[in-house]
Amino acid sequence: MIPVENYFLLASFVFLCGLSGVMFRRNLIMVLMSIELMLNAVNIVFVAASRQLAQVDGQIMVLFVITVAACEAAVGLAMVIALFRRYGTVNTEFLRLLRG
Amino acid sequence: MEVFYFVPEVLFYILSGLILLSSVMVVSARNPVTSAIFLVLDLFFVAALYAKLDAHFTAAIQVLVYAGAIVVLFVFVIMLLNLKPEALRGVRFSVGEAAVLLITLVGFAIIGSELARTAPEAVIPGNLGAGAIELAGGNTFVVAMRMFTSYLWPFEMASILILLAIVACVMVAKKDKVLGAAHHFRGGSPE
Repeated sequence: MIPVENYFLLASFVFLCGLSGVMFRRNLIMVLMSIELMLNAVNIVFVAASRQLAQVDGQIMVLFVITVAACEAAVGLAMVIALFRRYGTVNTEFLRLLRG
Repeated sequence: MEVFYFVPEVLFYILSGLILLSSVMVVSARNPVTSAIFLVLDLFFVAALYAKLDAHFTAAIQVLVYAGAIVVLFVFVIMLLNLKPEALRGVRFSVGEAAVLLITLVGFAIIGSELARTAPEAVIPGNLGAGAIELAGGNTFVVAMRMFTSYLWPFEMASILILLAIVACVMVAKKDKVLGAAHHFRGGSPE
C-alpha cells in the first residue's frame, strides 16, 4: 500500500509545474494548458484522499472539477480567439490592457 | 504470487515518474502542439493512476472528457491560430516570481508535515473501502448512487454552469456582426 503522502507529493510537483508554466510562458494557450495541469494535480489529491478515507465523495468532487475545467477551457479558448482576432497575437507581453 | 505483491508499488513509481516527465515537457516544450501531445500523455497516465486507485469511473471520464474533448479543443485552436514555436525566455527569476514559487513550496511543506503529524487513528474513515464498493455493485454504481442522491443539487448546478459557458463562448467568440450592423443601420461607426 502506497502511503497517501506520496500521492500528495506527486500532486504538488505537478501543481508546481503548472504554476511555473502560468508564470513563465508567454503564449496564452500554454497558460491555459498549465491551468489544466494544476486542476489535474488537485484531482490526484481528491482521488487519493477518497481512497484513503474509504469514501467516494472525492471522486464525485473530481467530476465537478472536470466539469469546471471543461467550461474554463472552452470560455478561455473563445477569449483567446477573440483576442487573436482583435490584436493579432496571443503573446501575453503584448496583451497588457489591465496592467496600467 | 510473490512477484504480483510488489506490482502496485512499482506501478505507482513508474506512473508518477511518467506523469512528472510529461508535465515538465508540457510546460517546457517550445511548440504548443508538442505541449498538447504531452498533455494528452499526462492525462492518460493520471487516468491509469485513478484506475490503480480503484476509481474506475473517474479514470474513464478523465480519458473521455479531458483527453477526448478538452485537449482536442486546444489542438483545434492551435491549428486555427497557426502559432509559431515561441522563443523560450531564459531562466531569469524576478523577485516576485521567485517569491510566489517559494511561498507555494513552503505551503506544500507545511501541509505535508501537518498530514504526516496527524495520527491515522484521528481520521475517521468512511465505510466504502475497496471491498465494500465491490460488494455494493462496483465503483460506477456507488458513485452514481451518491451523485444522484446527496449531490443532486450540485449536479444540477453543474448543468447550469455548462449552459452559461455555452452562451459565454458563443457571445465571446462570434464576430461583432449584430452590434456592427446596428451601428451601420444608425449610420454610426462600430467602434
